[in-house]
Amino acid sequence: MWIAPLLLLVCGVLVLYPLVYLVTESFNIGDAQTFPPDEYGIGNYIELFEEPKVILNTLWVACLATVLAVLFGFIQAWILTRTAIPGRARLERLMQLPYYMTPLIGALSWGVLLGPKTGLLNQVWHSIGFTSDFFNIYTPWGIAWVMALFEGTVAFVMIAASMKSMDPSLEESSRVLGASKLRTALKITLPMVAPGVLSATIFVFAEMLGSFAAAFVLGIPGRFFVVTTAIWEATLSFPPDYGRAAAMGLSLSGAMVLTLGAAKFIMRKGSYATISGKAFRPRPMEVGAIRWLLMAISWGYIVVAVVLPLMALTLTSFERFATVIVSQMRFTFANYETAMAMGSLAPAFANSLLLGIVVATIGVPTIGVLAWIIYRSRMPGRGAMEFLIMIPQAVPRLVFGLGLLWAWINIPIPIYGTLWLLGIAYFTVFMPLGLRTIAGVVMQVDKSLEECARVCGAAWTYQMRTITLPLLRPGLVAAWLLIFIASVRELGVSVFLMGPNSKVVAPAIVNSWLSSSSELSAAMALMQTVMVFIAVAILFRVARRVEGDVV
Amino acid sequence: MSDVQPRIEVKDLVVRYGDAVAVDNVNFSIAPGELVTLLGPSGCGKTTTLRAIAGLENPSSGSIRLNGQTVWSGTERRNVPAEKRGVSMVFQSYAIWPHMTVFENVAYGLRVRKAPQSEIKASVARVLEMVQMQAYADRPSSNLSGGQQQRVAVARAIAFSPNVLLFDEPLSNLDAKLRAEMRVELRELQRRLDITSLYVTHDQEEALAISDRVIVMNKGKIEQIGSPEELYNRPVSLFVADFVGAANMIQGQVKGTAPDGSLLFEATGGITLEVEAPPAGGGGSVVALRSSYIHLTPMPETHNAVPGTIHRRMFHGDFIQYVVDWPAGQLIVRRPPTEYYAEGSGVTVSFLPEHCILL
Repeated sequence: MWIAPLLLLVCGVLVLYPLVYLVTESFNIGDAQTFPPDEYGIGNYIELFEEPKVILNTLWVACLATVLAVLFGFIQAWILTRTAIPGRARLERLMQLPYYMTPLIGALSWGVLLGPKTGLLNQVWHSIGFTSDFFNIYTPWGIAWVMALFEGTVAFVMIAASMKSMDPSLEESSRVLGASKLRTALKITLPMVAPGVLSATIFVFAEMLGSFAAAFVLGIPGRFFVVTTAIWEATLSFPPDYGRAAAMGLSLSGAMVLTLGAAKFIMRKGSYATISGKAFRPRPMEVGAIRWLLMAISWGYIVVAVVLPLMALTLTSFERFATVIVSQMRFTFANYETAMAMGSLAPAFANSLLLGIVVATIGVPTIGVLAWIIYRSRMPGRGAMEFLIMIPQAVPRLVFGLGLLWAWINIPIPIYGTLWLLGIAYFTVFMPLGLRTIAGVVMQVDKSLEECARVCGAAWTYQMRTITLPLLRPGLVAAWLLIFIASVRELGVSVFLMGPNSKVVAPAIVNSWLSSSSELSAAMALMQTVMVFIAVAILFRVARRVEGDVV
Repeated sequence: MSDVQPRIEVKDLVVRYGDAVAVDNVNFSIAPGELVTLLGPSGCGKTTTLRAIAGLENPSSGSIRLNGQTVWSGTERRNVPAEKRGVSMVFQSYAIWPHMTVFENVAYGLRVRKAPQSEIKASVARVLEMVQMQAYADRPSSNLSGGQQQRVAVARAIAFSPNVLLFDEPLSNLDAKLRAEMRVELRELQRRLDITSLYVTHDQEEALAISDRVIVMNKGKIEQIGSPEELYNRPVSLFVADFVGAANMIQGQVKGTAPDGSLLFEATGGITLEVEAPPAGGGGSVVALRSSYIHLTPMPETHNAVPGTIHRRMFHGDFIQYVVDWPAGQLIVRRPPTEYYAEGSGVTVSFLPEHCILL
């Protein structure tokens, strides 16, 4: 098995090489452009606290968004797992959609809907007689709102899981012993669900700390900076302040790792009996007439998080000028024509597609072998291997992009500014995603299924071909699609690594938006969303087939 | 048995996981056609021993020979991979491949061996008939019941005519009634095919019922090897007496010899019992007494007759279990359902000296 150490070496270099640069650079207090640095010191870190505004901003937005997202997620989880509203199953499937909308698309479309004065909803507000705006999206509240709609699904999935895995007999026995409905809810249900809610809160908070797109689109115009956008700003200043950016990025990663560690700790300490591996379907409550209200609330989230933004984008993408008043709209296909014709935009789409396909196609078999080694073999050092591959997850993509930028500029191989570098970068940052997806399936496949093949006389390769791979196929396909989707919509790493000859979609959308052509941005955003949703549709089909014949 | 080449020979087998010793110096051999059971509580090393024979576990030292061929040896540095050992195995989880039909599952071992299509068809049909699953051949295997999966797993294990068949707790996932039925069927099948089998279970009733010989294991070591009758009637250790069958443990000490040669044992409470001398000589301080070998009578008897009172009665259907108060504490007694005593009534407890195992 020479292949395992080789893969480990390659992945290790891919992950650690940029991090080494990032760490070194963060201690560089000399000229930011020279490497290795002339002078070392902790000045960059001290500077962070001399101007605490950025940190406070970040915490403020993260808290706002977390509270909103957990509220959305909790309400949806409660409605969809515990009450008998019509169309529950379909709603539960649709709940995945907001996640695939991406914060970038969300921010762009909510900019169209609630931009000051010109936003569509604000115009409706004016037309019914109000003189001020209904809401200005270019504020911390706006950023939190967009992020909460996106993270709401994440909170939903985590909270719903804890509600679903709760044995209904725990509540039933409380009722039988004479406790009222309310007392049961407070004394039994709430403590059982609390760890799930708490860990969802912390998880969302950690994700919020590292989020970039919404704060970028909605925060920059009002000069409202959070840590990620401040990192971006530092690299654009002249001369670029890579040292400060690296220090900020590493501190951010440290904060995320700490929070996620806390979440894991709470999950383990406080999981009571909720995690028994058994899936219970608690008997849903009959809620009478208010079920229509609950159903409206549930659909309301989908409409606000998916339908409304997409409608706004569609409308804008067909307009000649986005800023005109509703009654004077002129419609055109010109934006789509421009998107496909404009020198740099068509290649951006082609590049993104190409990268998505190539990275997923190379990534899945590679990560598949690694997952098999980590979760199935007895090779020494498997734990270290898993840890290594999961590192990129703890580093915000923007920060990792910074490290990659700095690392690959300094290497004599001329791949900076090419698709090769983007491909390597995508592969590195999506390794955790791939490993998690494939690991889920690998662990579902009972070990004795493979052992039985060996005892029946099959050699390793024969067993892999006839038993292991067919059983893993649905998981591998899902991993391929997830990596493809993630690549097509990637922004954080790409903004640093994109070159004039290697443009990709998400940064191109941002650039076009920066040059204040919101109609063109809308057209491109919509095209990207369509690409993603086609992949999502295939993913759902595959997932349904898996549920059908899982062991 | 010594002139016949054993099918399985395990010598000085040791399996370590880090610092923990799962299997500690285990020795046994199995003759052709024999069904031998490894019996013991969970974590006693029985499954590890079985998996080491199958080639799914790497021993630390010792040797394993199958049909006279060394398949694993620490000193010779020999390790034949699982697929080359010619053994077959029925897994606890059945390990039915969900992406294949019943037919394809059973045919797997034959396809691996590149058997001709006609032979595959004939063999699969034959073994499916043996386990009464011929009607299910073309069904997808993903929605079979537990009992059906069990039958398919057995059919698959015997389809390619292996030399040795290994069973890893094959019946533990079935309900009690089905388990009792399958026990009979497995024994029938094993006799009919005359196939050498090693069977792992933690269920002493199952082990006694199906085996030619039973190997009792505890903490990685073998406690006793013997026929089911030997284990039940002549346990050599406290562990075996306690683990196999229902036994009472009576504390006390040897006090002398009776005129007929049996030992006199003074139990706590001041009663004296006639007991058999232990085979190895040497006197212990515990007498093991099977619940089924105790008589309850309204009138006194000669040997080991002690007055007692029925403390509790539990009707089990096929037998009644009594808890009897007697001078040395309490005794568990099993009697046929025809022997019915009211709780609180006085009885005479009696048993033969040869049933009192001094340990």
